[in-house]
Parts: sequence; structure tokens; C-alpha cells
Amino acid sequence: MAEVKEIPKSDWAVHRYLYTRDISNAPVINLLLKQVDVIYQPRNEREVLEVLRIAKEEGATVVPRGAGTSGYGGVLPVKDIALLRLSRRKTIMIDFTRMDDFEIDEEKRLIECSPGAVWWEVEKKLNKKGLTLRVYPTSAPSSTVAGWIAQNGYGVGSLKYGGIAENVEKLRVADFSGVKEVEGKDLKYYIGMEGITGVITKAWVKVKEMEEMKYYGFHVSAKEANKIVFAGDHYAGLFLDSNYVKLKNEAFGTELPEKDTLMVATTEKLDGDESLGEEIWETRFYPMRVRRLGPGLVAAENVLPAESIPAYLNKLNKMIKKPHGSEIWYSKGRKGAVLSFIPSDERKFFSYAFTWFNSIRALKLAKSMRGVPYSTGFYLSSEAKLLFGGDYSELREYKRNVDPKGQLNPGKVFPVGVFPLAMGILQKVIP
Amino acid sequence: MKFEKELEDMIHACAQCFYCRVCPAFQSIKWESVSPRGRVYMLKGLKNKKIKLEPQLVEDFYKCTTCGACEEQCQTALHLVDLWEMARAEMVKEGLAPLPVHKKLRELALQTDNPYGEPKEKREDWIKGYKYEENAEIMYFAGCTASFRAVELAKNTVDLFNKVGLKFAYAGKNEYCCGSPFLRTGQRDVAYGLFRKNYEEWKKRGVKTIVSSCAGCYRTILIDYPKIAKELGLEWNFEVLHTSQLVNKLIKEGKLSPQKFSAKVTYHDPCHLGRHTKVYEEPREVIKAIGAELVEMDRNRGESFCCGSGGGVKSQFKDLAGAIGKNRILEAKETGAEYLISCCPFCKYHLKQMADEQGVQIKVVDLVEIVNNLAVKGEYKGDDIRCA
Ligand SMILES: Cc1cc2nc3c(=O)[nH]c(=O)nc-3n(C[C@H](O)[C@H](O)[C@H](O)COP(=O)(O)OP(=O)(O)OC[C@H]3O[C@@H](n4cnc5c(N)ncnc54)[C@H](O)[C@@H]3O)c2cc1C
Ligand code: SF4
Ligand code: SF4
Repeated sequence: MAEVKEIPKSDWAVHRYLYTRDISNAPVINLLLKQVDVIYQPRNEREVLEVLRIAKEEGATVVPRGAGTSGYGGVLPVKDIALLRLSRRKTIMIDFTRMDDFEIDEEKRLIECSPGAVWWEVEKKLNKKGLTLRVYPTSAPSSTVAGWIAQNGYGVGSLKYGGIAENVEKLRVADFSGVKEVEGKDLKYYIGMEGITGVITKAWVKVKEMEEMKYYGFHVSAKEANKIVFAGDHYAGLFLDSNYVKLKNEAFGTELPEKDTLMVATTEKLDGDESLGEEIWETRFYPMRVRRLGPGLVAAENVLPAESIPAYLNKLNKMIKKPHGSEIWYSKGRKGAVLSFIPSDERKFFSYAFTWFNSIRALKLAKSMRGVPYSTGFYLSSEAKLLFGGDYSELREYKRNVDPKGQLNPGKVFPVGVFPLAMGILQKVIP
Repeated sequence: MKFEKELEDMIHACAQCFYCRVCPAFQSIKWESVSPRGRVYMLKGLKNKKIKLEPQLVEDFYKCTTCGACEEQCQTALHLVDLWEMARAEMVKEGLAPLPVHKKLRELALQTDNPYGEPKEKREDWIKGYKYEENAEIMYFAGCTASFRAVELAKNTVDLFNKVGLKFAYAGKNEYCCGSPFLRTGQRDVAYGLFRKNYEEWKKRGVKTIVSSCAGCYRTILIDYPKIAKELGLEWNFEVLHTSQLVNKLIKEGKLSPQKFSAKVTYHDPCHLGRHTKVYEEPREVIKAIGAELVEMDRNRGESFCCGSGGGVKSQFKDLAGAIGKNRILEAKETGAEYLISCCPFCKYHLKQMADEQGVQIKVVDLVEIVNNLAVKGEYKGDDIRCA
């Protein structure tokens, strides 16, 4: 077709190297990954369909990519051999950089976004109309609407409005057989599915009216934090344990009291420290500045029932011997996403690789306390059953039906090939 | 390529978060090889021998105006502009840079002490008819662009100084390019030579304060010169001011009372004056002091969007400079302002060109031109600076 040539694309070696990347840097595991062969940057849905047609024709695999800010390997192509396939398939990446437009429906309180729309660009435009996002990830300055939906997760505002999954109204998705719109209970086939069932080409997301928000800081333990956070109708809650505050001070050059600290964003009046609250709120987009201290960072992220969090932190702190710290974004349903950071020099191969084991140990610990991993991606596809619970079989069946040849982002979300097995074994053998 | 520890640490500290997507070059070209995140990762790839240093990569590395927008947003607070300059200097050592136009500028500067290749004697032509000293504590540093191309900027500046009776020295043909184009494009050796000449001249004339009306010269003398002086074991004790700061000071001290300027204006922060040296408020205070109605563009101060002409981009990549400039001029148009004020001859020239190209009805002027006109007249007449 004539249009094919027009779709911006590149197979330049430097681009192939650059686009085969997310925020993780997994030692050893990266031996199972390969480079993308070509990157397409479609400008509209028609071009997305065209790229899918090419992929079908060439028997190629397709990896969708937003801003590449996820850290579970979702945007990294997996070697065919690691997926137990003997022949090498070409990998096409669909990068949504050029599909970043969006519209605001003020009446319905909805945004209609192209996949590559960036959360904070949307927020800035919403604010001009007196509206605001209900939830957004703390990577909002760069991450894309479809990227977060496809990855799924919690973020700012989740305390009141839940995860992104609870705020999506409708999706438009493309696969090898065309385009469809999905809503209601069918959304589960796409949210958190990382493109393995289809590529999101449009998303309708709920927004709200702007409200006057206050930010309060408290020096309280994780146990006390639970009481404050879930006591009222608050918008967002972020807990920084004293270890994290220490790392944060070092990385930012600030002098926050090195104590367990809670920040609550709310429209209610609370008896907390506003300047402390505001200081923490203002730096909410910079959780990873502590990476400077490595330079390099190993992270562990698990979702736990609020009641388990104090004991989890306690045990985790005893378990990890290196300097580390944790932050928690609370969510509706008395949960918290606990993100622990361990600065580690990524140039020192053995100590860096060893530090990574802490993520697995943290996962084991979380699971023993009714917790679940934050996400699956490639690295944690072994955990899909736990994460999806009763929906697991139905979701797998759906995947098999829409993508019988396993061309859509293979190796992600569900366990396929050798690596998930190895992860399972690792979890057993690591103390 | 050689990787000094500082450079290597930065490469590994990058979180790959892509907050630096605000980069004007990436916003125009959309491929990550021209984004800050991509550049950091390219350096990592070069270090780890995953990719090769090749001409296309080098070219993409130079598609950067050194505007510093990336640094402002950076998750891990990296000194990215320093990183780009260090990397470019290494590429020059490897023989793959500078790019052709930048190399040409080098040859011209080595012959004439200015990147325009103009005869040295012509440098002081613009100052005829104005009063200045050979030696004084304050030195006016006009810079190459205001001396040879945007002479109205230099003229308006000294005219204003004369009106307020400010005693200042001017080095004439013994003023040399500040070296900014060479520092920005990795040709540090040329800049060191120029630094020495200027430095000796200032010392000889007993200068204590250097005033520049060019954002690029100001950034270079304020930030780069002390570092070079330290490297060369020379003492550095000059105060460095941008004209906007001096004018603001004069107004505040009651030494300058310009008449009112009742117009709707918007202000473009030059990258080298704003983000690089954090001079955000003084120009705005001057604008307020003359009574103009200031309407900010959406992206202002630290978030200001580059005009597109810096870092050697306009000379080597005209299309890219045009795409960036178009973006900015359309943002200025959104404000509905009659005047777009800036404090840098490069920004003014480029944005004016963009306004003409895009048919945007906005008068692009330098702050000092407006103030100087108001210091005696009641109305700004809109003299154009001559730029080639
Ligand atoms: C500083 C920082 C803070 C963060 N904070 C949070 C946070 O608060 N909460 C949170 O949940 N995460 C957070 N993250 C992780 C990450 O930012 C989110 O998962 C993010 O929203 C991913 O968006 P992206 O555009 O970068 O997607 P990508 O990383 O590009 O992609 C994510 C997944 O979605 C798939 N995908 C992308 N686009 C499409 C599409 N159009 N159709 C189908 N599949 C697609 C990709 O294949 C991949 O599997 C953070 C990351 C950083 C660096
Ligand atoms: S300095 Fe400006 S142009 Fe250069 S990489 Fe940073 S944001 Fe882009
Ligand atoms: S903002 Fe800084 S840390 Fe993030 S990708 Fe860009 S350079 Fe790296």
C-alpha cells in the first residue's frame, strides 16, 4: 500500500538500541531480551492498523510503547528462544509519540485521549477549564495515557478514586482483525494487559472538577498513618518511611526531619503541618532522585492490605542490609502500594545483581502477608495467577482467541517459556 | 570516546524517566536520538560498546540548543548541558565533530576573533558618536552579534548609559568573541584563547564589573569564565551583570525614570539568561516599572520554551531552528500581546524572523531598546536591529 512508506519508521541501529529500553536495568535477565527490528511512529489509527497488517503479513511480533517509563519489561522484546520458539520472528515496535492529541468533554467530565497523550499535558489543559484528573501516576510529566492503562496501577488520587482501572470509561482497541470499542466489564481484557490482547488507540478517562486542596504533613508511624489516611474522605496519601526521608535528604540536599512522615492531600481540614505537607507534595514526581546515590537503583514494589504494611516494613527493613527506603501511595479499599528503593551502583555487576535478589525477597515477604506484586510485565509474569485471581483463565482464553499466533507483545503478563519457571524456582531457593 | 568520572556518573544516574521530553528538539523531531534521555542512553551505549560512534549519531547529538529545559525537569537533577558539552568535546577529539558550519566558525574566529569573520577594526564602528572611557570600573561588553549584526542593541544600550551618565569603558577592537559558540559546540581550545585575550584586556583596564546585553555572552562570562580561570590558575574577581539587571538597578535607585509604556507585552526568557543564570525577575520588574501590561506565555521562566537558535543549531540545522521558533512564536501570539520582548539578540532576531514567516502580528524587541526609547521619548518607535 502506498501509505506504508509515509508512516515514520526507523531501523537505524542506534534507534533499535534506544527503543529497546524501559526504566529497569535487569542484570542477567537481559540475556533473554532482544532488540526491536523496526520502530513505527503512526500518526493516527489508520496507520496503526496498517502497521498491524504488516506485522500479520510478516508474522512479526508487535510491542506497543508509550513513554517507556514502566519497569517490568513490558516494552522489552523477549527472545523467541526464551519463549521456546525455534524460529526468530521480527519485532515491530509501535511508538505512540506522534499520537498525543486529546479532547476534553466538559459536560460529561471525560477526556478522550489518543494513546500517546501525556498525563501532565492533559492536566494543564484541564486546569484551564476548572477540571482536573481524578488519578495520575507520579510519572505524569512523561508517561502516556494508554501506557498507564495498559500497565495498570495506582497513583496520586487513588486513595479516593482507586487505580486507573476504576477511572477508564471506554477504550478503542486495534488488533489483527480491526478496531473495536470496549467498556464496562470488557475493559478487563485490556487494562493491565500491556498490549497482549490489542493496541489501545483511544481512551476515555473520567476527570473531576478542581477543588481547593490542602496538604498536611505528619510525623507518624505506618500504623498511625493508616488511621489518619483512611479516617476521612481524603484525595491522596503518601507515606515516606524514615529510611526513605534520609535518602531523599541526601539526594535533594534538603533537611527534612528524618522520621516516618505522612502527607495527606485533602479538601478537609486536618491538624497537620502544612509546610511539611506541601514540601512533600511538591516533590511527588521525583521519587527516583535517590538514584543519584548509586548511581543506579533497585526497586521492589508490592501492594499490601493497609493492616499488613507496618509489619511488612518492619521485616523488610531488617531483611535489606544496604541503605534503602520505602514510600507508600495509599489506595481505596484500605490498600497501599509499597515502593522500596535500594540505591546500588549498576557498574558493579555482582553487588548490583545481588541487590536485585532483594526485590524477589520483598515479593516473597509481601505474598506471605496477603500482598501481591504491583504488576507483571515480563519480569513477574510468573505472578499472573496471583494478580488476576479468578479472572486468570478467562483472560488467558481471551488472549488465545484474539491473538492465536502469539504475536502481540509475547512473553508479557502471562507466563510463557523458561523465564517464569526460573522466577518460580528463584523465589523458592532465595532465603 | 573517553568517559571522565563525572560524565560516567551522570550517565548511570539517569532514571530514564523522560521528564526531559520537554526538549524543543525532541518536540520537533520526535525521535529519541534527539532527546536528552536518548542522548544519555547513547552515551551509555557508547561506553558499553553497544553502539558505535557514527556520523549520524554525532549529528543528532548536535541537534540541541543547549537550552537547559531538560535540566530543569530532570528527575535526578543532572547537569545535562554540561554533559552535552563534555560529550561534544570528546566527539571533537575523536575527529567526528565539529560539524561543517561549526568548523567554519572556528576558522573565522581564529582569523578574526569573531565567528562572523568580520574585520577586527570594524568591531567598534557602531559606537561612533557615543561617549565612553578607555578605562573604567564598569566595562560594557557588546559581544560579536551586537557589534556586527544587531548594532541597534549595542547602540541603544550605550545611548541609555550616556543618558543616565553612567561611566563605562569599552574595549573597541580589543574586545574579542566571548567564546560561547565554541564552548557550546565542543571546541574548547578556541574559547580558551579568546578568554585569555578578554581577561588580559579587562585586567589591564582595571575593570571590576562587566555588563553584557547578550544573554549568551553573559552566561559565558558569568559561568564559564570563572571555571576556565580556575583551570588556568588565574584569579577571578569580576562582577558580571546583564543589562536588564543593571537597568532594573538604575530604575530602583531612581537614577533612571523612563516614561510610561502603555502596551500589552509578553516576555520571552532567553535560555542563557533564564534557566542558565536564573535571571527571571529583573526583566519583568523593568517591564512592570515602565507600566506595560505583561501577559505571560503558558511556558515561562524555568519552563520557557527555547527560541530555537542557540547551541549552534541555527547555523547548522536551519529547519530544526525554524520548527522550534515557530512553536514559540505561536505561543507568543496566543497571549494577544502587541510586543514580544526579549533580552538576547539571537532570540530577538530568530523570533522576529519566525513572526514574519508565520505572519504573526507581533513586534519583537529587546528590553533595552524599549527602555532607551522611553527614557527620552514617550513612545517606542520600533527601530529594527539589523541581523544578517
Ligand atoms: C518517576 C516515575 C514514577 C512512576 N510512578 C508511577 C505511579 O505512580 N503509578 C504507577 O502505576 N506507575 C508509576 N510509574 C511506572 C510507569 O510510569 C507507569 O506504568 C506508566 O504509566 C507507564 O506509562 P508509559 O507511557 O511510560 O508506558 P510504557 O512503559 O511505554 O508501556 C507500559 C506497558 O503498556 C504497553 N502499552 C503502551 N502503550 C500501549 C497501547 N497504546 N496499547 C496497548 N499497550 C500499550 C507497553 O507495551 C507496556 O507493556 C512510574 C515511573 C517513573 C519513572
Ligand atoms: S538543552 Fe534543550 S535542546 Fe538540548 S537536550 Fe536539553 S532540552 Fe533539548
Ligand atoms: S529527566 Fe533526567 S533522569 Fe529523566 S530521563 Fe531525562 S535525563 Fe534521565
